[in-house]
Amino acid sequence: MSTLQYAGESSLCSPHEHAVSRRQLLGATASGAGLGLLSQPALAEAMKQKEKQVLFVWIDGAMSQLESWDPKPNTQFGGPFRAIPTSVPGLHFSELLPRTAKQAHHLTIVRNLCTKDNAHSSGVDRIQRGDPKPRGPVYPYFGSAVAKLLGGGPSGLPPYVWIKPMSGGFVYKDAGFMGPKYGALAFGDAKPPENLLRNERISNEEDLLRNELRAKLNERYKQRHEAKNVEANSFVYDVAQELMKRQDLFDESKISAKDKERYGTHELGRHMLMGRRMLEAGVRFVKVNTYGWDTHGDNFNGHASLVPRFDQAFAAIIEDLAAAGMLENVLVIAMSEFGRTPRINGHIGRDHWPEAWSLAMAGTGLKHGHVHGKTNAQGTWVSGEEHDIGAMFHTWFSCLGIDSKKTMYDNNGQPLPLAHDDMFPVKDVLA
Amino acid sequence: MLVRWLLAVALVVAPLCVRAADPLPAQIDKLIEAAAGGPVSPAASDAEFLRRIYLDVVGRIPTVDEARSFLNDKSADKRAKLIDKLFASGEFPRRMEELLNQMLMERRGEDAEWQKFLAWAADTNQPWDAIARAILDPDADSEQVRGAAYFITNRLSKVGQQDTDYPGLTRDVGRMFMGVDLQCAQCHNHLFVDDYKQVDFQGLYTVFLNTAIRTDVKYPAVTEKLMTKKIDFQSVFDKQPMTVGPRVPMAKELMIPVFAKGEEYTVVPDPKKKVLGVPKFSPLETIAKDLATAENRAFAENLANRLWYFAMGRGLVHPLDLRHSGNKPSHPELLKLLTDEVIARKFDMKSVLKDLVLTKTYQRTSVRQSSETLAEDRYRVAIEKPVWAEQLLWSTLTAVGTGKSDTDPRKTANVADLRKKFLTAFANPAKEPEIDFAPSVKAALFVMNDSTILSWLEPASENLVARLVALKDEKQIADEVYLAVLSREPTDDERKDIAEFVKKAGTDETKKAKTLGMLAWALLSSTEFCLNH
Repeated sequence: MSTLQYAGESSLCSPHEHAVSRRQLLGATASGAGLGLLSQPALAEAMKQKEKQVLFVWIDGAMSQLESWDPKPNTQFGGPFRAIPTSVPGLHFSELLPRTAKQAHHLTIVRNLCTKDNAHSSGVDRIQRGDPKPRGPVYPYFGSAVAKLLGGGPSGLPPYVWIKPMSGGFVYKDAGFMGPKYGALAFGDAKPPENLLRNERISNEEDLLRNELRAKLNERYKQRHEAKNVEANSFVYDVAQELMKRQDLFDESKISAKDKERYGTHELGRHMLMGRRMLEAGVRFVKVNTYGWDTHGDNFNGHASLVPRFDQAFAAIIEDLAAAGMLENVLVIAMSEFGRTPRINGHIGRDHWPEAWSLAMAGTGLKHGHVHGKTNAQGTWVSGEEHDIGAMFHTWFSCLGIDSKKTMYDNNGQPLPLAHDDMFPVKDVLA
Repeated sequence: MLVRWLLAVALVVAPLCVRAADPLPAQIDKLIEAAAGGPVSPAASDAEFLRRIYLDVVGRIPTVDEARSFLNDKSADKRAKLIDKLFASGEFPRRMEELLNQMLMERRGEDAEWQKFLAWAADTNQPWDAIARAILDPDADSEQVRGAAYFITNRLSKVGQQDTDYPGLTRDVGRMFMGVDLQCAQCHNHLFVDDYKQVDFQGLYTVFLNTAIRTDVKYPAVTEKLMTKKIDFQSVFDKQPMTVGPRVPMAKELMIPVFAKGEEYTVVPDPKKKVLGVPKFSPLETIAKDLATAENRAFAENLANRLWYFAMGRGLVHPLDLRHSGNKPSHPELLKLLTDEVIARKFDMKSVLKDLVLTKTYQRTSVRQSSETLAEDRYRVAIEKPVWAEQLLWSTLTAVGTGKSDTDPRKTANVADLRKKFLTAFANPAKEPEIDFAPSVKAALFVMNDSTILSWLEPASENLVARLVALKDEKQIADEVYLAVLSREPTDDERKDIAEFVKKAGTDETKKAKTLGMLAWALLSSTEFCLNH
């Protein structure tokens, strides 16, 4: 097990953290004086906001660990790219991640993943469902699990939001046995869902009036009948109205030119920026999705064009979440369904390799500037301890304050463990 | 001591015994009341009954005229008369067709040939065993019924790179025709349900593994390969090799007949001429005969349970597809009685449904009499059922329409588009059984902002809002809109709510029309409207 923490520094308290929090303090107290901090509404609000949130960046098709988190330059399978130092002494990323390298002190990298499935169709599912022991019921995706376990929170917004290229809609299948209501609300190309915009036939005032009457009539019905149906139905109307109120989330003109430039005007940049806005709005679980990483041919040109976009968007959001103090309550995960083969195939590509790969995390409950696990010199296999996805699920639940060894799902009376019951949280990455 | 106790029990039970001479509804009520464990709620009001029976039997709410004529009718037998009328109407088969489609396809897709088959089955009141056999052993030569193959072909069609879903088809046949969900028994004996063995799954699975979708015809059709031997399987746990041939779950395995070489086919396959072979032995045919028959108690019991669920909102065995000895029926005697009736009536669904809605159990109020928490399975109060997507469409059209009798919303212009719109907004996603009330954000956004819905709430010719605009005082407005949308009179409190709301519009004509449209909207979007209470 390797630990590349700051020598002599606690992982909780690195010089970078001091720099950031000082800037934060200065910003927040610009018009106030030292000790009056908590009376500052903005900061007081932030202090209250200790609700855990998740940013899940899904790199579909599989990012190569060798061209990102676990470079092996000048080795048989290392490929043409160099490794560069990061803000964590001794920790190196591929040179395709220069901006993220500057944020490495916020990150925890896991380099010893060893999972089971090397097919996209089943692998995506198995990873995002945590590949629990097969028991019949289909397990929820991580987003649905968090939506169920932590609920939507005080924002009133849907708990599980998915920002993805192409079409959007309500994606129920993610919820597995939990049933449709824990599915994802997907914003295709970061655009609002169908019927979100208030119909032009109805003014805002009229909309409020008619909904007020609806609520009143529902109360009357509830007095005569069991409450649960009215409550369920009122809940979805409340969420819908809350979403309609937050149309500003979809208003391009609200985004600063500087942010657009920092995140990138490409798809992933725009979507990641939307992800930040959703987190700021209080959405419990935000998944940002990028497709097209399956580089069986021409892997190196492919990654040379794909990774920098990821780098730009990911580094920007990590920087912003850290600056806003949000990493204290947001768990960030960036991963794929598997890694890519060290062996370079006849098409100068890399194939599927679940045997030894990496992911990046940051935020609540985790060490900062930490790397866990390692692969052998050529990057072909994990060296020493290895982790399947079930262990990562336990780790994430632990970061979110959920004891996945004690809590059980209740599937119509059938108790089911939250994550693979033969596996455990990876203690070494936990703060 | 024990004897005395038994005697006491016998004395209590004896007067409650059901006499076979009673008509079925009376027998049912006696059994339900005997096991109610407390006082049962009074009968539903006329308005409550009226709305419920329309939704259940013809799939929509009554028009204003229909509601008035029933509510004003003073005759004592008006409920029975209405039941007769609705079951005899042309809308009942359409409702049956929708019900069968919803249950059998679980929103997996639509097909004109399938629809034709269901329409014919509903129009001619085909018994359930005949429908099941047509589905399990589709007859491609009959134009009338060949669409039944869609049940199989839809499930066997390829989706992306996934394997053909033979296990899914096997599971659905077990669920829908025998009320047993054998999914967990594909790879091993069920871990929690002792009755579900791996052989139950595998025996049915071998039959469907042997089938394929026919590509030589445009309509849905299935072909079978030559079956000469049993399939091998083993449990993932003990890895003991086993074999099984075609077998209805929980029944006897069928023999695979052996034919002399060259004698196996009635039509010999000829790939060069693209002639599909027809083997003499059809596992589909034998399984269809063995499964969909009165001899198969599970088949009849499943139908009895599902008909009960359609009427009452909950299965006597619940969940519907977990019939097994560990999941006891809430009323074993009643389930036996209904199953016997289903068999005696030769699987005539209409006849059984009609008797179910004649019961006091069905006709109880859903209004709570106290704050006591009541177990659903005691039927002391009527269960509120969801109004499903099709019912919502027909009911919305009825509510916003002219209010005249005998207007069939299924004959509205653009009805196919409207149906699609409503299914998208309100139906569960494909393969999610529609059993429980499951409101969604998507549906709420649709009701709030869809242009078609809002356009129905603008005054035009004799529609609801035009009629409301023409009314003078707030009481009349409240009465009309409540009867049109909720099929009842408003309470005094509700009249006050409405008066207060309408007053806000003032005297401006445009504003009044707008306000009355919003009033109708509030009723249409209320929880009461989307429940069959």
